[in-house]
Amino acid sequence: MTETQELEQLVKREYKYGFTTDIEQEIIPPGLDEDVVRMISAKKNEPEFMLEWRLSAFRQWKKMTEPEWAHVHYPKIDYQALSYYAAPKSQEELDAEAPESLDDVDPKLLETYEKLGIPLHERAALAGVKGANVAVDAVFDSVSVTTTFKEKLAEAGVIFCSFSEAVENHPELVKQYLGTVVPQGDNFFAALNSAVFSDGSFVYVPKGVKCPMELSTYFRINAKNTGQFERTLIIAEEGASVSYLEGCTAPQRDENQLHAAVVELVALDDAEIKYSTVQNWYPGDEEGRGGIYNFVTKRGECRGDRSKITWTQVEAGSAITWKYPSCVLKGDDSVGEFYSVAVGNNYQQIDSGTKMIHLGKRTRSTIVSKGISAGRAENAYRGLVHIGKTATDARNFTQCDSLLIGDRCGAHTFPYIEAKNASAQVEHEATTSKVSDDQMFYLRSRGLSEEDAMNMVVSGFCKDVFNELPMEFAVEAQALLAVSLEGSVG
Amino acid sequence: MRQGLPDWLKTALPQTAAAPATIARTAREQVETLGLPGLRDEEWRWTNIRAIQRGNFSAPAGVGADIEPAIRLPLDNPLRLRFIDGVFQGVPNDAPEGLTLTALADADEATRQAAFSPKPAPSVENPNDALVTLNTAMAREGVVIDVAANATIERPIVIEWLDGATESVMSHPRVLVRLGQSAKATVVEHIETVGDQPAWRNSVIVSTIAANAALTHIALGLDGASRLATERSFASLERDARYHSYNVQLGGQMIRREYDIHVGGSGAHTDLIGLMMPRGKQVLDTHTRITHAAADTTSNEHYRTIADDAGRGIFKGRILIEEDAQRIEAYQSSNNLILSDNAEIDAKPELEIYADDVSCSHGATIGRLDQEALFYLRTRGVPLAEARGLLIAGFAQEVIDEIPLVELRDWLSIRLEERLGEQDLAGHETE
Repeated sequence: MTETQELEQLVKREYKYGFTTDIEQEIIPPGLDEDVVRMISAKKNEPEFMLEWRLSAFRQWKKMTEPEWAHVHYPKIDYQALSYYAAPKSQEELDAEAPESLDDVDPKLLETYEKLGIPLHERAALAGVKGANVAVDAVFDSVSVTTTFKEKLAEAGVIFCSFSEAVENHPELVKQYLGTVVPQGDNFFAALNSAVFSDGSFVYVPKGVKCPMELSTYFRINAKNTGQFERTLIIAEEGASVSYLEGCTAPQRDENQLHAAVVELVALDDAEIKYSTVQNWYPGDEEGRGGIYNFVTKRGECRGDRSKITWTQVEAGSAITWKYPSCVLKGDDSVGEFYSVAVGNNYQQIDSGTKMIHLGKRTRSTIVSKGISAGRAENAYRGLVHIGKTATDARNFTQCDSLLIGDRCGAHTFPYIEAKNASAQVEHEATTSKVSDDQMFYLRSRGLSEEDAMNMVVSGFCKDVFNELPMEFAVEAQALLAVSLEGSVG
Repeated sequence: MRQGLPDWLKTALPQTAAAPATIARTAREQVETLGLPGLRDEEWRWTNIRAIQRGNFSAPAGVGADIEPAIRLPLDNPLRLRFIDGVFQGVPNDAPEGLTLTALADADEATRQAAFSPKPAPSVENPNDALVTLNTAMAREGVVIDVAANATIERPIVIEWLDGATESVMSHPRVLVRLGQSAKATVVEHIETVGDQPAWRNSVIVSTIAANAALTHIALGLDGASRLATERSFASLERDARYHSYNVQLGGQMIRREYDIHVGGSGAHTDLIGLMMPRGKQVLDTHTRITHAAADTTSNEHYRTIADDAGRGIFKGRILIEEDAQRIEAYQSSNNLILSDNAEIDAKPELEIYADDVSCSHGATIGRLDQEALFYLRTRGVPLAEARGLLIAGFAQEVIDEIPLVELRDWLSIRLEERLGEQDLAGHETE
């Protein structure tokens, strides 16, 4: 196959996971005002402090304007035309507690997972065979429907539940940590999320506990015209460690769907949090119609000394991605890491990167970002490395590389570097190139087919990041890359 | 929400400007809404322009005083174009063959049109271009440097910006440099504060370089604590043209220098080399934008900053490769040294690429001196401060070495040594 043909195939790749599931939904009519915020809070039986918190966020949001600085273009979103709450009908029954058995779950929902190839029971069995248990807190639209492995986690003292459950059962923890990493008024989308978030995941790993399994959540977007506002809060106490996996695919849709999630991580002394994402939401069709708007605020705070937060992401879907998983390195000797592969095809637009804020002494950070652009995609890395006055002997290494496939796509790099301490050491390097004829020729002369050669170059390009993914996730990430790019070349 | 022009600037808007009538009128309308840029503007997030906003400057009254620069550059038989507080002191009468020098006020309509139509054109949407627009609305003083086709001007053409001679003066001079086909010339900006009066110069230099021509453009921002300057250089390159820029900034309260290079013809090449050494509370800021608009073009950019005391060094370099501009090689590096915990370095190397057959890279480093090199020198018995001095000088020298005029290079090396001698270099390394 010639390169041109490969490119054509690549460009014509259709969204493999496109389907919708017909489930009756309980939806609040479109529009957003204080009453809607109150209604969401009431529906979830939230305590007074949560309602106040939401309302305060909403009031801040009203005064804010949508950011325009990102290198992305999209029609203005009418926030009054969106519906801010959707829950599966069975919510009433499930409200107090997620079902312990799969039998209680809406069969249509299970069907959804079947189509995606990740049925819960099979997945559990598969994980069991491997000896690594993966707990799945499935999110269908906005409300957690089922949580598995709860008991095993409870034994270890780990709390892993939906956000609503956390608000009900552990309000003191929620009160203590919610909004301490991403404040309500942090940015336009975070404020919106704070006001109307429906549900999400909550993880609490107590002092000295190593979480006995990888935690995983699958997000699905399903209802038409429904923004999804997830809220995730992960807390690792002194000496605790946890690895959290997040992955998503969404049904094919014509209409744009807004997703504005917030993820907050808190790592105390000697704690370690690894947060991995594989994102494959509907990217829109070949003409750039439809697709998910993914405007996410993710931030982790290394609050304690010697703590560590690692973000790993494989971003392949969404029409627009606006996402900067960041680390605030407050504790002395704390470590922040960011590994990212972002693949854009057709008319996808990606503006993603990270922020590493060094405040503690001897803090270290590593950024490895690989961007691949094909078709008419725009792929931008935007990052900040900030070395504060107090961050003595801080160290950062950044590498961002871009690979261009086709002459109608764009690859951009916008790194911000700020250093206010004489002992800071910051290194940033970036390269942009296409798969060179030399590389192809070398591999072809060794007898590799053109497809295999291209495949090998692209795999090699992303290897540094894939190596960072947890084993349990490797399969899905590889499958995703195969669908995204390698599928067309080998 | 933009602030609009401060009153003192509004009242200073002249009824007649050097720009052709329609251009001047549009600019006047635009500046009223654009106002001055501020920290909320992305391009100004690191550079506080408050000193200018609150400056209450007025345009120079009448002609400048008869003032000579305190610093003599070791240039061979230079042609001097002197501006005292932005007021042009007239063209020398010994211009060599092939070179035409004209005061902007005396230039014909077409020439003035060229002087006020830089490429890429400033955009009303971009708050960063507010200062260029302001210059267009305000400019009355300036000079036009025309180099005829095939002419090689050996004598350096020196633009002397002598600022701060009178109190609270602002100036908005405009310079046009035109090189005909295969022409060659060297323009040196000698920037000096001659008094201790606060002064603000908002100058714009527009260069057009025809096919196969080569312009060397050296800017020397010499010491001067009270100087406020916002300087913009446009250069547009035709086929096989070359633009070599050297930018050395050694002082000033707040200096913002911007380069817009439009590499518009195949085979064209540009070098942007720079050294900034802020100390005290100086803010030295350079923004560069290189647009590769044609295939088979190259660029090479190399900037270094050494920040001491509470000085602040800011570098932003943007490389834009347009669609269909294939086979581009663009290289950029920004290396920075911080000598004091109160100093700050901000860097933003940007790539924006819309073609695939390119080889682009940028690197940025911020750090202290190489500890191993320092250790090596110490084991040879070199005292700490001296060892640091040697390494810092070496770091800066690599930029100075690129300057093509030998006398100037040597002079700068000596000046650098003197300068480092004044600074406390014992630094943070422990004995």
